[in-house]
Amino acid sequence: MQDGRDMEEEQTVRELSHDEFDPNGTLALIAVYFVILLAMWVFMYFVEFLGNELTVVG
Amino acid sequence: MGSALETGTPSFVDRFPQEASVVKAALTSSFIALFLGAVFGLIQGLHRTDVFRFLDSQYYYTVLTAHGVLMVVSFTIFFLVGIFTWAVVRSLDRPVEDIRYTWAWYGLMVVGTLMAVVAILGGFVPSTELSADVLYTFYAPLQAHPLFYGGLAIFIIGTWLAGADWFRSWYAWKQEHPDERIPLQTFMVLTTMLMWYIATIGIAIAVVGFLLPWSLGLIESVNPLLTRTLFWFWGHPVVYFWLMPAYLLWYTVLPSISGGRLFSDPLARVVFVLFLLLSTPVGIHHQYVDPGIAEGFKLIAMTNTMFLLLPSLLTAFTVVASMEHGARQRGGSGLFGWLRALPWRNPAFTGMALAGLMFAAGGFSGMINAGMNINYLIHNTLWVPGHFHLTVGTAVALTFMAASYWLWPQLTNKPLFSRPIALTQTVVWFVGMALMSNAMHVMGLFGVPRRTAEPQYEGFEFVASFGSITELRMQLALGATLLFISTVLFVSNIALSTGSPTRTGLGQPLSKPLSPAADSPEVLDNLKLWFGIAMVLVVLAYMLPLASIVGDSGVIDRGVSAAPVMIDLLTGLNPVTAVTEAVSRLSVAIVGVVP
Amino acid sequence: MNIHSYEKIWLVVAILLIVGFISTVTYGATAVGIDMVDDEGGTVNASALDEDPRFSEPRVEQVGDNEYEAYVIAQQYIFNPDPIRVPANSTVTFFITSPDVIHGFEIVGTNANTMVIPGQVAKITVNFNDPGEYGIVCHEYCGSGHHTMEGSVVVQPEDEFEPGGDE
Repeated sequence: MQDGRDMEEEQTVRELSHDEFDPNGTLALIAVYFVILLAMWVFMYFVEFLGNELTVVG
Repeated sequence: MGSALETGTPSFVDRFPQEASVVKAALTSSFIALFLGAVFGLIQGLHRTDVFRFLDSQYYYTVLTAHGVLMVVSFTIFFLVGIFTWAVVRSLDRPVEDIRYTWAWYGLMVVGTLMAVVAILGGFVPSTELSADVLYTFYAPLQAHPLFYGGLAIFIIGTWLAGADWFRSWYAWKQEHPDERIPLQTFMVLTTMLMWYIATIGIAIAVVGFLLPWSLGLIESVNPLLTRTLFWFWGHPVVYFWLMPAYLLWYTVLPSISGGRLFSDPLARVVFVLFLLLSTPVGIHHQYVDPGIAEGFKLIAMTNTMFLLLPSLLTAFTVVASMEHGARQRGGSGLFGWLRALPWRNPAFTGMALAGLMFAAGGFSGMINAGMNINYLIHNTLWVPGHFHLTVGTAVALTFMAASYWLWPQLTNKPLFSRPIALTQTVVWFVGMALMSNAMHVMGLFGVPRRTAEPQYEGFEFVASFGSITELRMQLALGATLLFISTVLFVSNIALSTGSPTRTGLGQPLSKPLSPAADSPEVLDNLKLWFGIAMVLVVLAYMLPLASIVGDSGVIDRGVSAAPVMIDLLTGLNPVTAVTEAVSRLSVAIVGVVP
Repeated sequence: MNIHSYEKIWLVVAILLIVGFISTVTYGATAVGIDMVDDEGGTVNASALDEDPRFSEPRVEQVGDNEYEAYVIAQQYIFNPDPIRVPANSTVTFFITSPDVIHGFEIVGTNANTMVIPGQVAKITVNFNDPGEYGIVCHEYCGSGHHTMEGSVVVQPEDEFEPGGDE
């Protein structure tokens, strides 16, 4: 059980320093997240909210 | 044991046995609260969806109060004081200054919790006057028994003393290391506690200044809008109080578990400073649709709230980048292919990663909550509990459980009872919450209110624009059941670990950040400066609204009388009978199924 | 400070996102004209609503061409008047208060949604177009009978409508 974890966690095959590492995958993931956020916001605000009946105008 | 026999890294309990006992005690209290909270959560989930109910609906609110208080006050904050004690002792590498003092604040927190819980559970016994069916928000003029407010006050004082303990450790450490940067974990603990000291001013005034004397009959009435505003003065920063230990774990433990290093220590410090500055002057966003507060104050609260997204968005980048660093060191490659190289079979990793993923979704629904006028769409609907079950209910809770799988062996020198069960538990939580929270969000959009015992009303029907309300109710109930099963798996796994054989060398060292603290300007460590600015921001955000509330309706509104929460004895089904009946019905059903 | 260029990009994008959110809400408040409940409704003595000119008689009254005011009391566990009758194609300003504890007032499935706090008067103005019926639900826990607290708004054809109180 414990040995399984030790093996799994010692799989480092290379050391990457700050200058050798560009988080390209992170940038891609976060760009996808950004697009989802933006699209969902527009949908929620303009369709779900402004498209809903009875708006408080005063 | 002889040191010659030891292999591997010494664990926390090897190095600091006395502190490990306190941390274990705090975590144990937290897990007991989690288990009880989950029992109430299940009762509630099945009751309001009308899947299975054995209590009269008026007791639903006793169940709901117990669920709320046990989960977001006891479970989260006991875990916090445990993990913060661990983090300060570990990162300063020194024992606490006086272990008796440490036990004293822990004891106070336990006493406070017991008082509040007794008052709440009194609600199930109609023959006593003891009752606190006021829900987690205890909005006056609903009135609880003084024991409830007293317990809450003692609990909070306990957390204040805990903070003083950590500051004391840091101060002692600083005398010996005058030119060093504050270690990252200690920095996170101290900034979080400064935020907490500011935030608790609100609840201290509300509880000690108004609600406790009022429940004792010393003052006749209170101003409900004032106590409500003071509640939310504390009520929003407290969500960051729940979240900061999770952030601490994501920043300082998750990178190591992923096989990598924290991407940037300086940015982590910036994030915690931003939380200190912006967590408190935002509480009015819970009151967007309150009468008696001018729109301008609501707009200011919204602007601050939206900027409070910034530290979380920055965290998303830094934490994911640290995981990516681990994956690439483990041989991962490709734009998304590195995700496969992460240690998905490690429950501590998978739990935290899934928690982070759900936080991304919860972040979105939080952005909707924060939008001043779009709040009309979802205010006090099921959308809101849908949101916070993703944030505190998963980002925080699942991270805490995952971290326990990593930390508990280091506190006890006993390996976890079962890693496969632990892994299953984290996935079951994720699936259960996905179902329950999705159903809640969608039902909220159809106008289904939160905090109500009944799924439907007599005079009208909720209209679903897609799917059906019944389907969504079943989804909610299924999710709640899975979450309960997941909690049982977690608690029993930890409990069974006490039976594991004692081993040495269970310590898990933490990796150093890629970009160290030395890269950041020293001003980041100037806690007095940030505390001062945070105070100024709070005064700016709250002085005028509070003055205008007091100016309009007084410190005390004499027109408002107390409404002690009363159970109607005639229609109420006695809970004791109800539980016995339900148990016997269930056992008959089970006996019927078993051949 | 050693910050990776990707982090700088994300910082800028995140700030733009935040500014975008604030701008959308401002657009809704100005161009669309969505108004927040605020302190305009004033305060009231919660224990003497029967002596208050606005709330002694919960009712709907006409105040102009197609303009109406509805004075509503939310209390444990009813809304008064119930139903609230209003004419189609009208602008109705609701004034809502409570004599006992905090309640909620949500016209179900719509954006008309406010808290009701004893001592304070919530004021919201809403336009009703077609005839029909809406449910009202109390969405803040207000005591052991909270789940029974509901009401309704009946939007009547203009020619059938008579202003006044309940019944």
